[in-house]
Amino acid sequence: MKATCTCAEKGTQKNIFLPREAKIVRVDQHTPTERQFTLRLADGQPFSFEPGQILEVGLFGYGEIPLGLASSPTRKNTFDIVVRTVGRVSTALNRLGEGQSLYIRGPLGRGFPLDNLRGHDVLVVAGGIGLCPTRSLIQYILDRRSEFKRFILFYGARQPDQLLFTADLESWRVSKDVEYHETVDKAAPGWKGNVGVVTKLFAKTRIDAGARVVICGPPIMFRFVIAELRKLGVSDANIYVDLERRMKCGVGKCGHCQINDKYVCTDGPVFSYDQVQSLQEAI
Amino acid sequence: MSASFIKESDFKGFVRGVMGALPVYGPVAKRSKYVFGRLESAEDLRLDYDVTILPPKKLFFPTAQDLVRFDGDSFQGCVQPEERVILGVHFYDVKALDMTDLLFTEKNEDCNYTAHRAAATIVASNIQTVSPRAFWGSVGKGVEPKGHDAFLTKVSGGYVYEARTSKGEALLKHGSFAKATDAQAAEAQKVNEDVLKKCPETLRHSSEDVAKKMRAAFGNEDLWKRCAQDCFSCGSCNTVCPTCYCFDVQDWWHVDQKAGARTRYWDACLTEDFAKVSLGAGASENFRESRGERLRHRLMRKAAYLNEKLGGPACVGCGRCSAACTADIADPVKIIDAVMAT
Repeated sequence: MKATCTCAEKGTQKNIFLPREAKIVRVDQHTPTERQFTLRLADGQPFSFEPGQILEVGLFGYGEIPLGLASSPTRKNTFDIVVRTVGRVSTALNRLGEGQSLYIRGPLGRGFPLDNLRGHDVLVVAGGIGLCPTRSLIQYILDRRSEFKRFILFYGARQPDQLLFTADLESWRVSKDVEYHETVDKAAPGWKGNVGVVTKLFAKTRIDAGARVVICGPPIMFRFVIAELRKLGVSDANIYVDLERRMKCGVGKCGHCQINDKYVCTDGPVFSYDQVQSLQEAI
Repeated sequence: MSASFIKESDFKGFVRGVMGALPVYGPVAKRSKYVFGRLESAEDLRLDYDVTILPPKKLFFPTAQDLVRFDGDSFQGCVQPEERVILGVHFYDVKALDMTDLLFTEKNEDCNYTAHRAAATIVASNIQTVSPRAFWGSVGKGVEPKGHDAFLTKVSGGYVYEARTSKGEALLKHGSFAKATDAQAAEAQKVNEDVLKKCPETLRHSSEDVAKKMRAAFGNEDLWKRCAQDCFSCGSCNTVCPTCYCFDVQDWWHVDQKAGARTRYWDACLTEDFAKVSLGAGASENFRESRGERLRHRLMRKAAYLNEKLGGPACVGCGRCSAACTADIADPVKIIDAVMAT
């Protein structure tokens, strides 16, 4: 679909609501409700972004939803998103197939603080669909492994059939570049792994007080993970939370994603925990 | 720029002259109230209005505004600003426009607002009738109104017209203006100073004290619960507010099912679903679930969060929220008094 400009817009400020067309290169069905789309810009331009940034992803006639980028900018040419079928927009997006188009605005917001992660141990704690935005960082670290010290990944899902990116999980289980630990809240026949909430994984390994920690998952998970990190002596300034909120514009105007005086879409979605602590509505 | 004077008997001729050149919007009567509407004739203009139902913000940020239109083959933006004159904006609404100007411009400029704003000439006018819930005389006193192009003040025998910009000066050619005398200019100044003392409600605290106390009272759940006890979550306070600018965006199809638009609509942070996200499988999380949390968010936005950015509170004392509130609990003066008393 071609973007045309109204006369009044030519030569003036860019219209922040006009999206760019992205072609679906590949679709992977992770679960009955979650699908991964591998995308590239329809105009062939490279798409540059930082791990942890977000996109407004839409289809005309249905609307837009905010989604975290699920791949690292170190993987050139294409980028990934994961859509969970929840409402009108996500249902329409999840009917799309290879070769079809969707429309994106972004990258938006501030991603993970790579400068503060480099040269340190990094622990990523992902719960459920929280693996998608953190995968942008996981891939980044794996692609530039020497820039980081120990890399530990905790991933918790509700049950085994809800684990996302199973091909990635297979490789991480045997990889020497990441200490990968996983758990499910509820086991199923054939499951031989850990059972219990994600905080149980802290008993499986050692986390030093100097580690940098990134957390993304359901709101309830943050509180329990942060309590564990406190016990280990990890400083609040080195804990980063990747927050989700309702968003309509993605550019700091519509007001839906506000946490006190911060906009998740422009000030976040990644915040350091000491920054968020003073925001009483955050976690 | 110097002040000009136009006789009462020549004033309608001036309005007609401007209307002959450009579309003119101004306060017009609608049953027992007033609205900003397009003037059909110079007689429609009611500079004696007290307050309009909706603020002039609606002319630049309409209640429903297409952002993108699409058909099967292409999509395009919808910014097609029309040059207009807005005549008769009270100073509190000028202050509010200054604020929305900044909020729509900062970080990511939204041309869907700024292009319309840039195409407008705003002629402010003095307040001739004071509305029953106004407190503009005592709120944000340090914040000067500055977004207007000219200021019109009713004085003995006519109006003093003070152009502030070249756009404001350009309108002078449409009327029989003379240079205002010193006495006329002094009278205009006195009229605008005196009216500040005529508000029925007064905010007794400085913006700085209010902002500080407001932030300190954030965790006082009983206070917010009490203030919001009778709230219907209807969002009327947001809807009439000249500095509220939150919006929802929805896509829709024409009946042909081929073309349609992505449209933004005014939204209201007092409504229940405003901060709610769906998590799938019927689950959801509402980040401001209680009425107290939502009322607190509105008050924090108005009296504390935006102060640094705007140089004062994001409230101009128009009293529209007090008057529109279904349960009559939205009066900022009363809420701030309750906060200050804790």
